[in-house]
Amino acid sequence: MTEIQNSNWKLRKGQIIAAKQMTATEKWFDIKLEDGDLDHEPGQFVQVELYGIGEAPISVCSSPTRRGSFELTVRAAGRLTKHMQGMGVGDWLGIRGPFGKPFPVKLMTGNDLLFVAGGLGIAPLRSLINYVIDNRREFGKVDILLGCKTPTDMLFGSEIAGWQKRLDVNFSCTVDRTAPDWKGNVGLITSLIPGVTINPEKTFAVVVGPPIMYKFVIAELLKKRLPERQIILSLERHMKCGMGKCGHCQIDHPKNYYCCKDGPTFTYEEVKESKKL
Amino acid sequence: MKTENKPVTTAAKPKVAFFDFASCEGCQLQITNLGESLLDILGAIDVVEFREAISEKWDGDYDVVFIEGSIGDPHAEERLKKIRARAKVLIAYGACACTGGVNGMKNSFQIDEIRASVYGKDYKLFASTATKAVHQVVKVDYSINGCPIYAPELVEVLKHALRGLPYTVPDNPVCSECKLNENVCMYERGLACLGPWTKAGCNSWCVNNGNICYGCRGEVSNPAKNANDVIGKYNLKPELIKAKFDMYNKCKEADAK
Amino acid sequence: MNYHILKKDELDGFVKKLAKKMKVYAPVAKGHDNFAFEEVASAGEIALSYIPTILPPKKYFMPQREKLLDFDLTGGKPADRAVLDAPELAIFAVHTCDLAGIQCLNMVFSEKPRDYNYILRKEKIFIIGLECLKYCDGNAGCAMVGNHNPNGGYDLFFTDLGDRFIIHVNTQKGEELVENMGLAKAAAADMAALDKVREGKKQAFATEPGADPKKLPEVFARAMESKIWHELGARCVSCGNCTNVCPTCYCFDMADTINLDMKTGFRTRTWDSCQFETFAAVAGGENFREERANRQRHRFYRKFKYPLDKFYRSFCTGCGRCTRTCMAKISLKDTLKALVAEHK
Repeated sequence: MTEIQNSNWKLRKGQIIAAKQMTATEKWFDIKLEDGDLDHEPGQFVQVELYGIGEAPISVCSSPTRRGSFELTVRAAGRLTKHMQGMGVGDWLGIRGPFGKPFPVKLMTGNDLLFVAGGLGIAPLRSLINYVIDNRREFGKVDILLGCKTPTDMLFGSEIAGWQKRLDVNFSCTVDRTAPDWKGNVGLITSLIPGVTINPEKTFAVVVGPPIMYKFVIAELLKKRLPERQIILSLERHMKCGMGKCGHCQIDHPKNYYCCKDGPTFTYEEVKESKKL
Repeated sequence: MKTENKPVTTAAKPKVAFFDFASCEGCQLQITNLGESLLDILGAIDVVEFREAISEKWDGDYDVVFIEGSIGDPHAEERLKKIRARAKVLIAYGACACTGGVNGMKNSFQIDEIRASVYGKDYKLFASTATKAVHQVVKVDYSINGCPIYAPELVEVLKHALRGLPYTVPDNPVCSECKLNENVCMYERGLACLGPWTKAGCNSWCVNNGNICYGCRGEVSNPAKNANDVIGKYNLKPELIKAKFDMYNKCKEADAK
Repeated sequence: MNYHILKKDELDGFVKKLAKKMKVYAPVAKGHDNFAFEEVASAGEIALSYIPTILPPKKYFMPQREKLLDFDLTGGKPADRAVLDAPELAIFAVHTCDLAGIQCLNMVFSEKPRDYNYILRKEKIFIIGLECLKYCDGNAGCAMVGNHNPNGGYDLFFTDLGDRFIIHVNTQKGEELVENMGLAKAAAADMAALDKVREGKKQAFATEPGADPKKLPEVFARAMESKIWHELGARCVSCGNCTNVCPTCYCFDMADTINLDMKTGFRTRTWDSCQFETFAAVAGGENFREERANRQRHRFYRKFKYPLDKFYRSFCTGCGRCTRTCMAKISLKDTLKALVAEHK
């Protein structure tokens, strides 16, 4: 039976060409596919297969403007992601995807952008931030707000330093708990929002972080009169098949959303009725 | 239960030993009965101690030890701790080791009453304690529940241990597998079965072979709160189910404390 | 429209002839009023009068456990190969509720991105339906969802006319088979007898009281917060029986197994259930459907709300299996009636 070789379960082979331990629990990988580019869009994810261990959905953290390979930042959380911490250059993995609805870049073009990232949320958001920076003249004002638990939890430190130096983006950052050599803000990420000037008519806010963060950040953005359809989120669920079939990532919402296919990016307007963000 | 370890990597094949405590040694028998896959296992590991099959002893450290049986006296406790100290990875296998098993029934009685009935009037010469599961004495890295163990699960756990991967004992009721095997429900046959409360992972072995589930793999971590509703359909009393469960799961009470 | 006739005493010959071409699966009595689709070689083994089998025929379309891939890690670079085991087979005496179930699954797995394992297997399966002339028991609700009469989904469809079956031929494949078997065409009297049977069914399958199917979309549009879900949740055992036996439940899990050589292995998919504790949990620890009440609600919404928006039909086929199998006496029909009552 040769037809089955068209199966969507087939895996592309990727090889790790660079890897770096970013924090105690997060590791960054640069992966090259043997059969060409991943051809993803900002906000999409891939299914990473470690043969004999299983699969896990991981968001792509690099921008498609960076061609030739793609990047993942993996937190040691489950069986597979813990195992990945021990992997390095030269190791092979299986890849399915890219999957999911990307951030609505076309809709955002010509508007001001406010990026709000909490914790590991910076990983999927980075694919969009770097995309915007690489196409900077297509967009209006760009603000980036970043929050993490402590200074040592910060991901992409040197790259973020680059964003900080740029004149065409406004960057601010806060930590929940300070450390001796930290000179920046201390406090929750919501505390940074009042300081940002927002033109509600032409601003898109893109918010990515843990479920608990959404509630409070969205409340602040609504206070700024930002319309619900201009608040973009990326939701977390266990996306197992990536094809809108296995049922694991379905969101408790009157509209039958599969996070893997209808998301993971949603406007707040689309998902505000959902039981959990 | 989740477990996790570094992979067992050694230059030679990993040294694996099997030990038994208070048990019928039926789980060892399950291993010797593995048939063809036993040869594959022996290709992957170096068995250095196995009372039921070989007479050699090993005085070095163990890469993996399998512990069968429950712990019911101070000597056993001490011996188990010594084995743990020499083992990189410890796997409890069988109901006696994982949940106390039938030996836990001892815990339903006063200890001296039990000692007197077993050892007679000189019972004080024979030390005896309440039955404990292995994890109630030492750290357990992997568990293979069941009386006896379900051999295919042992093979899976061994592979996980050799690769340093965590193994999770399924926490859904036995029904979840029984239904996939399309068995006629024991309750439909007029028999009270413990499947709805017992951890799966055995591929509903007993029911496939015409027997009820006796709960040998232990209770699921979030059982149905209201047993009345569950068995009310069949006019059974919750006390009956509780009593049936005690056969294998009396030691659980020590975990709850 | 093409109808043929098979005399009842010729059924055994029909089954035997068919079994020479391919494996034939049909309902078989398992005792205690339980039935299961199993391989048969003669008509005598078949339970022609049966209530829905323990598992629906979905097990032939998406097996309980199915291998998707073989892999080999011997070289530095992993190698893998998609695999499929899809023998040609026939399922005989499929009731209309289960035909509807297969139609639902066909839609799900044909939707892009397509599931080739399902689709290629489906193409190898010959389906012969069998008409129900009365309700199988009080748990069935096929008339409520309009599945008591055939709505396609078969190659051949048998209706009992007493001493003979009238067979509706629905596909070219079906036509070739009846011609090959040399079955006579139905006469005008046979067609009249069929009409009479269908007329009689209107009485036998009078619509269920208390749950008007037309009202259900409206009821479910407003039932997210209903307290009824908490009542179900308090009883549920989370055993997954209701979803495993459901002809339209298709959620699955996937897992890799490595062989003892530690170099080769395979990936399987297994039926999964939204009723299991960790079904909606993520590796980070969050469980998006931790409460049993929410999981029960989810099951009902996956039958009566979500598929209506996506596939224009209810995914409840009315077979009644979930109610029959529930350890906690959760009744689908009673739940619907309670929701309708609450809605008023």
